[in-house]
Amino acid sequence: MERTRWIFIGILALVVAIIGVSIGIGWLTKNNNASAGGLELERPQAITVRVLTALPVEPWVRSAAEQFNASNPMLEGVPIQVEILAMDGLTALGRWDRNEFGALEAGVDVANLTSAQEAALDDFPTVWIPDSRYLVELANASYKERLGRDVFLTDGQYRARPIAISLFTWGIYESRAKVLEAKYGEVSWRTIHDAAIAKGGWPELGGDGGWGYFKLVVPNPNKNAGGLAAMVAAAGEYYGRTDIGVADFTDPAFQTWLKELMGSVTDFSSASAYTAEDFALFGYSVGDGGQLLESDLLQNMQGILNRWDDPLKLYYPRYVTWFEFPFTIWVGPETSALEKNAALEFQKFLLAEEQQKAALVYGLRPANPNVPVDAIPESLFVKWSDRGVEPVVPRSDAMRNPDRDVLLALLRWFELNVAN
Amino acid sequence: MSERRSAANYQTWIIIGLALLIVACLCVGVVVWAGDALFGALPLPGRDEVKLPRSATADLTVAVSPGMAPTLNKLVETFNARGLKTPDNTPMVVRTLTLVPEEMVAQSLGQPAFQALAPDSSLWLSQIDRQWAAAQGAAEGDESVIPIGYRRFSNPVRYAVSPVVIAAWESVARELGWPERAVGWQDIQNKATADPNFKWNHPSTGHASGLLATLAEFYAGAGLTRGLTPEAATAQATLDYVRAVEATVRFYGEGEDAIVSRLAGEGRGFLDAFVTQEQLVIHWNQTQSGERLIALYPAEGTLWADHPLALLELGAPGETPLSDNQRRTYRALADYLTSPEAQQALLAAGYRPADMTLQLDAGNSPFLQNDAVDWRQPQTTLQIPDDSVVAVVQNVWWYTKRPTNVFLVVDTSGSMQGNKIDLTKLALHAFIDQIRGDRDQLGLIAFSTGVSVLRSMQPLDEAGREDMHNAVNRMSAEGNTALIDGVWEAYRLLQAQGDTEAINAIVVMTDGQENNSAHRMSELKEQWGAAQGPSVVIFTIAFGSNADEDVLRTMAEIGGGQYRRADETDIEELYKIISTYF
Repeated sequence: MERTRWIFIGILALVVAIIGVSIGIGWLTKNNNASAGGLELERPQAITVRVLTALPVEPWVRSAAEQFNASNPMLEGVPIQVEILAMDGLTALGRWDRNEFGALEAGVDVANLTSAQEAALDDFPTVWIPDSRYLVELANASYKERLGRDVFLTDGQYRARPIAISLFTWGIYESRAKVLEAKYGEVSWRTIHDAAIAKGGWPELGGDGGWGYFKLVVPNPNKNAGGLAAMVAAAGEYYGRTDIGVADFTDPAFQTWLKELMGSVTDFSSASAYTAEDFALFGYSVGDGGQLLESDLLQNMQGILNRWDDPLKLYYPRYVTWFEFPFTIWVGPETSALEKNAALEFQKFLLAEEQQKAALVYGLRPANPNVPVDAIPESLFVKWSDRGVEPVVPRSDAMRNPDRDVLLALLRWFELNVAN
Repeated sequence: MSERRSAANYQTWIIIGLALLIVACLCVGVVVWAGDALFGALPLPGRDEVKLPRSATADLTVAVSPGMAPTLNKLVETFNARGLKTPDNTPMVVRTLTLVPEEMVAQSLGQPAFQALAPDSSLWLSQIDRQWAAAQGAAEGDESVIPIGYRRFSNPVRYAVSPVVIAAWESVARELGWPERAVGWQDIQNKATADPNFKWNHPSTGHASGLLATLAEFYAGAGLTRGLTPEAATAQATLDYVRAVEATVRFYGEGEDAIVSRLAGEGRGFLDAFVTQEQLVIHWNQTQSGERLIALYPAEGTLWADHPLALLELGAPGETPLSDNQRRTYRALADYLTSPEAQQALLAAGYRPADMTLQLDAGNSPFLQNDAVDWRQPQTTLQIPDDSVVAVVQNVWWYTKRPTNVFLVVDTSGSMQGNKIDLTKLALHAFIDQIRGDRDQLGLIAFSTGVSVLRSMQPLDEAGREDMHNAVNRMSAEGNTALIDGVWEAYRLLQAQGDTEAINAIVVMTDGQENNSAHRMSELKEQWGAAQGPSVVIFTIAFGSNADEDVLRTMAEIGGGQYRRADETDIEELYKIISTYF
């Protein structure tokens, strides 16, 4: 009996010890979490990186995100998941400008948020990939006024970094391009303007009577950042320089010229944010040609051949607009340090050689200079080399990005003269 | 001794066993508790799902244009049959609501009964966008704000397209010059004005195809091919031209679907040509025997019905905001409609699918080896003027369209007492409000034991409209049902008026059996056949299940119109629909 009693006491002691150790571990864990402070008061179960992505790079970024998520990435022992939200850059800018994502007002302490306020931040974007760096500058300017500080950084580890680039090129249906080349010798905003105002339409230019009049394709500046870029590029060629200001856009002679040009667009109402897709879907019936993003044109080339039996021909303009798709991390307190660092992990993934090569399949030029545009056989630059696509962009002048005043002046002019 | 030892050993083992059992239980409990403290951050399967609120509905109602409704309804049925669920296990259910696109726009700006919409053209989305942005921008009142992103809708997806064409019987198409030369709007307009026997039709401007046909008339009238301005559209010469062409239109109506059902019912002689989507030509030739329809792609240009699907961003004051689950359902539906399975189904139905990997001239495509349609067409489109000009065209149309003389003939017998007469009054008010042409006239006849001409034919100017509303308000129900006499009187008055330029019509409604007329149906038929004056069309409405269907059907046949049924839930809507024929 004595031995039995000892065994019993031993077991009880063991139980007490186990309970004691467990309580100790639990207490320590709780205290460690509490000492982290801010939005990391409780260690998250997972980190979600919400990426607001411009439309031209969205298919590539979404595909990359799926691969990234499938690799079960972790940061400090916490799993990361990337969530993609497609939104045109200008539309996103409008929403930042009106603070529709719900950034906290200046002076609000994240530690004192109510649970409803915290919940409202659940969908706050961690990253914004707009079409162009100038959109980031405009959003920053807006928040500087509201909060007194930048919300997207231009230096440091969280600085905006381009993930791929593309430029605006002319895409013209080959049957029409031949007629234009025969008539004018080159494709430029000036010759397109002359074709657009030809009263007799295509027959006057030497084309088929059934084609109607020359129809230009330009994205709607209210729905697509490319529409604004097209108007800025047209102004650059009109004035013969890259730096365009508000005074240039308010010059009556230029406005008349631009209005004539825009008068050859058949339908701005149905021009969605996906202009190149529309261009392919409706073919030459809605547009003989237009200046669109090179990557969009390359992505839709096969569809055009499937449906219209008349391929596109690409021409590079003298004054070019580049989109560099900056990966821009929100640096405000609305997102945690863990989320910001997780965003950096995804950025690294996108800039790695494998994903930079994958971008070629979407007609995007790699941001990583070590990856040439013909790095893989599936590259659209290889596939459509006979359609006029150039691995190295011919000598050209890059347009300077418009500032906020130019942007507003252009949009108002468009509303008053074209959209209304 | 050995028995005692054995008993002691037995007792020891029982104690040890019990102790081990307690330890095991405690250990399991402690491990679970400590594990949660240590590893609670790690996601466990289904953990997130459990935390989501369960109350949010995943039901989504989609407003669909009438032309697309049959195809989309089938696709939605397949979608629902998949039994998809949201992460919180709520079933995703999609319902459809058939609405004329113009009505979708109006409802979208108020408090709609739907969360997503699928009109026949992006033109309607653009109108919603513009009107919503104007309202929101005006509220903001700050010129420095970037005016982009005020959207009433989001996530638009295009799942199929189809160009608007002139559908003509093959013999008519050949007469017009097909396939040797391109046929245009001008050819149809010339033919219609030169040949009084040529019967053509286009839907009202509430549909994309009707809007395009009217726009083409305005372009031709203004002598333009693009750049139509409000000034050019309202010039007298333009209006005269449009008025002359519109006078040749046989009747107006709900849309392509109504035309097709009448073609199927009344046969080849019903119309020579009509404006519709290319898809309908394919569908007709696939499902009907006899002479083929040919799609004529207008030489001056056409318009695309581009069938967008969009989600309404509900959440304005007083509105139930969209739930996350409804957004998930929308996304799932959009994914399904653009999936290879649905895209193939849309191609088989005669649409051009949005998936550009699907070729129109390969595989089982209905475009293959089919010269009634041409996948290389259209070569060009008409320029769509901006919304303000489109609005002018839509409004001006009411002043140029063929004038209408309509007699509303209403049953006020005893069986209509109570709710029925009240609902009928509401329906009549709606009808009166829908008739907006400045040359349109309306008359009102009530029948019960006898016939009362409450209002003879009168124009609907401001005073006339108010007077008509007052007359409707004063109606009361009692007595028998002199249905045939009511129609007889309306017909007599229209013949006496002798207006051959206008559409002359009678819209008659009853909820009961004919039992008190002095005239008989055979006399009515005789009268119709012998008439020398203007032709008169009859639309008949059977209200409820006791209505004299045989008499109403015969009347509609005699008058070359339509017989329709209604109950208390849709009588108002039916009157609205019939008003689109005028």
